[in-house]
Amino acid sequence: MRKTVKNLPNACKEFEEDLVLHYYNEGSAAELKRVEEHIALCAPCRKFSDDLRRLLPQATQTEELPQSFWDNYRREVMHKIAEREERRSWWRDLFAPMQSWTVPAFAGAMVLALGITFTLDKVAWNRGGEPQPLPIPQEILSDPNSVEFFKSMDLVEALSKLEEIEGSKSEQKAPAGAHSI
Amino acid sequence: MENTSLQNARDEEIVALCQQGKSEVFDILVGRYMERAYRIALDFTHDPEEAKDLSQDAFLRAFSRIKQFDGRSTFYTWFYRLVVNICLDYMRRKKKVVWERLEWSPDEGVERRELMDTVSSPDAVAIAGEAQRKVDEALEAMPKRQRTVFLLRNQQGLSISDIAKAMETTEGTVRVYLHRAVAALRQSLVEYV
Repeated sequence: MRKTVKNLPNACKEFEEDLVLHYYNEGSAAELKRVEEHIALCAPCRKFSDDLRRLLPQATQTEELPQSFWDNYRREVMHKIAEREERRSWWRDLFAPMQSWTVPAFAGAMVLALGITFTLDKVAWNRGGEPQPLPIPQEILSDPNSVEFFKSMDLVEALSKLEEIEGSKSEQKAPAGAHSI
Repeated sequence: MENTSLQNARDEEIVALCQQGKSEVFDILVGRYMERAYRIALDFTHDPEEAKDLSQDAFLRAFSRIKQFDGRSTFYTWFYRLVVNICLDYMRRKKKVVWERLEWSPDEGVERRELMDTVSSPDAVAIAGEAQRKVDEALEAMPKRQRTVFLLRNQQGLSISDIAKAMETTEGTVRVYLHRAVAALRQSLVEYV
């Protein structure tokens, strides 16, 4: 096996890229002609050009595959496409006619609507002021006596307060009475 | 088959039919570009199964985006762009290391040697196999875009102008990448020059 490392002669710097393009037949007729004229006169560039002709085909790997491979390949692609078409969900169909700009516009409108809803809701909440009295349960409503009882609860509370006030008054009066006795 | 009459139709005509909802004619485009798409993917992956999956995925993507094709470029440059992007994504995911390719299975080596029809003696076969390995190594070591340019030009035969469109870059950049790739390849094969 050859393992000796050679020092490759460099092509002219200003021509190297053109030599690559020349190999691939890229460029105008005038450019290609200019390169060919240079190659004819310049040994390192000629060597570079010859190297490309010898080496670059080696980089091309073309493995011939049987026709059956390509037939299956093609069938598989079309089968996958058919499957995908079938799987298209209803919402995709629904939004399909929409232009691309409508999606962000729709999303923006939704955000705006939500923002307005929350803002108005907050305002309404603040305006509500005092909380509404709790509704009386149905089982109490069905018995008028119970209703009266619960309504009198306020009065009972009021009476106890009156008693407290009365008690404090009598305490104040008692020393005055003792003094008179 | 109804598609038979469209076999000679231009790509753009077939694309227009697909855009009108005649999805069955897409099969013609698959037939035209499957081999090239597969070979690009194989150049990237070196794995026939992966290459098949990626290239088929490119067709599925092309089909699903066919309505976005506006005819500003030719169908095949538009399609090549999809293939290349899918392959680059694959490379990004795999994060392949340069030396990974050195671990060949013996069968693969035999298969490769069978492809070298220009050599005959065992010594020459060995040299050609070694050279091929060097080529692969050099390709693996190249920056991704440089390698892509080289593969599209050298393996696929795309013009510099088409490569620039497919890779969404300028022709000048493609020329520079191609020059660097070829110079690197020549350097890697210095012992066979």
